[in-house]
Amino acid sequence: MRIFWTIVAKELISFMRSWGLLAVVLYSFTLDVYIAGAGMQIKPRNVAVGYVDETGGGISQKILSHLHGPEFVQPKRFLSQKALSEAIFNKKILVGILFDRDFEKDYREGREAVMNVLLDATAASQSFTTLGYLQNIVMDFNKVDFPVALKAHKLFNQNADNHTFMALSEMLSIITMLSILLPAMVFVREKEEGTWDIMLLMPIDTKVTILAKSFSQVLIIFAGTVICTGFVLFGSFDMPMNGSFWAFLLLTFFYIFTSAGIGLFVASVSKSILQVAQLSMIIMMPMIFLSGAWTPIHAMHPVLEKLSLISPLRYYIEGCESIFYRGTQWSDLWPYFTGVILLGSVLYWYGFRKIGKLF
Amino acid sequence: MMFGLEVRNVAVAYKGKSAIRGVSFKAGAGEIIGFIGADGAGKSSLMHAIAGVGRFSGEIVYGGETYRSPAEAEKLKQDIGLMPQGIGLVLYETLTVGEHLEFFASIRNLKRTDAFRTYRNKLLEMAGLSAFVDREAGKLSGGMMQKLSLICTLLHRPKLLILDEPTTGVDPLSRRELWEILDDIRKSEGTIILVSTAYMQEAAKMDRVYLFDSGEIIAGGSAEQLIDSVREYTYTEIPCSEKQRCFSFDKRSYSLAPLDVPHAEPTLEALFFVNALKKGYAMPKMELEARESDAPIPDIVLEAKALTKRFGEFVANDRIDMQLRAGEIVGLLGANGAGKTTFIKMLLGLYAMDGGELLLLGKPIRSGEDRRTLKAKIGYVSQHFALYKDMTVRENLLYFAQMHRIETKKALVRIRKYAEALGYRAYLDALPASLPLGINQRFSITAALLHEPVILFLDEPTSGVDTIARAQFWEIMELLKEKWGITILITTHYMSEAEYCDRVVLFKEGVKVADATVETLYKEHPEAADFEEIFMEYYR
Repeated sequence: MRIFWTIVAKELISFMRSWGLLAVVLYSFTLDVYIAGAGMQIKPRNVAVGYVDETGGGISQKILSHLHGPEFVQPKRFLSQKALSEAIFNKKILVGILFDRDFEKDYREGREAVMNVLLDATAASQSFTTLGYLQNIVMDFNKVDFPVALKAHKLFNQNADNHTFMALSEMLSIITMLSILLPAMVFVREKEEGTWDIMLLMPIDTKVTILAKSFSQVLIIFAGTVICTGFVLFGSFDMPMNGSFWAFLLLTFFYIFTSAGIGLFVASVSKSILQVAQLSMIIMMPMIFLSGAWTPIHAMHPVLEKLSLISPLRYYIEGCESIFYRGTQWSDLWPYFTGVILLGSVLYWYGFRKIGKLF
Repeated sequence: MMFGLEVRNVAVAYKGKSAIRGVSFKAGAGEIIGFIGADGAGKSSLMHAIAGVGRFSGEIVYGGETYRSPAEAEKLKQDIGLMPQGIGLVLYETLTVGEHLEFFASIRNLKRTDAFRTYRNKLLEMAGLSAFVDREAGKLSGGMMQKLSLICTLLHRPKLLILDEPTTGVDPLSRRELWEILDDIRKSEGTIILVSTAYMQEAAKMDRVYLFDSGEIIAGGSAEQLIDSVREYTYTEIPCSEKQRCFSFDKRSYSLAPLDVPHAEPTLEALFFVNALKKGYAMPKMELEARESDAPIPDIVLEAKALTKRFGEFVANDRIDMQLRAGEIVGLLGANGAGKTTFIKMLLGLYAMDGGELLLLGKPIRSGEDRRTLKAKIGYVSQHFALYKDMTVRENLLYFAQMHRIETKKALVRIRKYAEALGYRAYLDALPASLPLGINQRFSITAALLHEPVILFLDEPTSGVDTIARAQFWEIMELLKEKWGITILITTHYMSEAEYCDRVVLFKEGVKVADATVETLYKEHPEAADFEEIFMEYYR
């Protein structure tokens, strides 16, 4: 046992003294998660609108007067459609509106008046939400008599706030990335620096070495997770906490071991840190894509939906959302714990065997 | 002098620390200029400055053009060839020999004329690589890699060739071949060659040698002139007492004050000792106490019987028998790729054996449990003294002690004892990367000795280490043999060091070709002047 803690201590000292690595890990758990949460804007904000008005004002100006801050900057007038298109092409303008000569006339005479909207669809969510705004504005002019009112009730996330969700997703992705990378790196660093043979020459059970080395990295990531949850999720984004914080920590602990298993596998087949980085990316991206972090699982192709069952991140994300937003009780969290622990045991056992063969 | 090189007052500093201070010298076409000196003396910095790849102050004149910065040197780059330090550093593991030449010709923008092809084939011929054009560089031996690096550097026919320790870590045979290439090139192309080396026998082949010490050239001239300058301080070997200010190494003793023994013929190595004496540097007195463990060491410590290792089709070690006895220093010699490292790794239990048997203290090593007992009884110093660079010397040593289940208190006492005995106490709280190689070497030896092993393996422990540190190293080995009575197995490329071994084992292409005492080998080869020639006999 003393040997186990000696190795853990040695790895922690090495980590604390590698300034670059320490900085990257700290950044990932703080600023990176903060930026992901704060920077993610689905609502339009400061959208640049341009227009060409051939009607001589009136209705068109009334419509445009609805486009104001903070969502829109003052609409800018262009003299021709060509100039407007050019501005959109050059990314000066995101949304262009064309009022042609007949617009006002058709409107006044009760015919269908057409207002053309040009959207820069590369900024998809922003421009389409803007389109939704425009439709609402136009609807207000049209007083439709339709006796159905829509009243929405927002559940679990009362402010329909994307920030906490994005920040949480980012943190879980960071945990995944680092818990593959760091355990892989502690082994491959020994290969790169030529200390591998010396490590093998210690008269110690190889299992102790592998366990201690991966455990030291689990500790680091665990500490990072606690910092991130405390300062970024709760501190900056007022993340709700409807369930048990301990359940979250326990689930995280198991999940880190799961990814560490993948890390061990990566370490067993890589010769250099560069290879670790490349391989980790290749393994991690599908894991994240299939987890439901970026796309809801029910929106996936049926085959991918089935595949997502083997992504441990899926259980972890669903588990975390349940704990934070839905406040699910311990007894009802068992599917997530089972998924993570089951996949985790298999992955860690496999990685352990793989790297053990090198000893 | 048609294409002269003149270095005027060149200085290089890194982050405020000066590496080279005001160095000047001249070289003419076809001359080979040698740089010798301890590591960190500034040789590499000067070479990089001359090659125009590093910033410097002062000026360098070459071929009538003067440059004061890398930018100004740009127009001369087609005439300059630089081979940096480190085996295979300029090579790409997965490219073949032919592809390397093709690649270096392309980046140098060489026209594929008949003359080019003839020259290319001549280079391949000289390097002995004609038969290996389709072999990947990663699969070449260290010596072949260096020859390939050299011909890649020569491909654009540089008129100024700068080679930074091209022969370090290379076996005597490949070293000799490298020198033949250089000699041929300077004669046929009139190239100025600047070369740094750690092997003093090579320095004797140069037209002029400059001795570097802490960023300055402290002596210069032909090998004979330099040797003459230290003749009066060189004596036949006597044991230096504590009070006398003198060094003993390689059958000679050096002292500024006259000694009571006849003079001896010095080698260039004498320069280092005399310089150290003149600077008042005293070699720390090494002392070592007896082992704390009193378990007796049997006569035969380790025995290999018909040990065989295969990598696929390739037989790296073919039925090798060897006995390692207590109180014996065994030198394991052989060209790069002869199977020395593989053999040691098998003895260490790092590689599985493909045949044969290994007995430690009379007991065969078979299971994983056996292997663990083996590991507890051996000490190993790896090539380049790899230790954990993020931990201080003390932390490193403490870590190794813990791994061997030595009590913390006892371990701290031992660490202090060794640090004092081997003279690096002042460096205990420094990080290994900031230490001179010689200190790292001694501290790696301590790491391998903390658990008082019965066998010590050292893989090229003196490669790249300066002469004085090497002298100290052998003193430690002698002490270990005397006071501890353990077995020591060493690989080395310094043939002069073979003479310090009680027994020498020679490998050639995975087979043991010699296993005898140095005296016996000299008797068997009466015509050989030194051990290097005996070595060559086996490789002819």
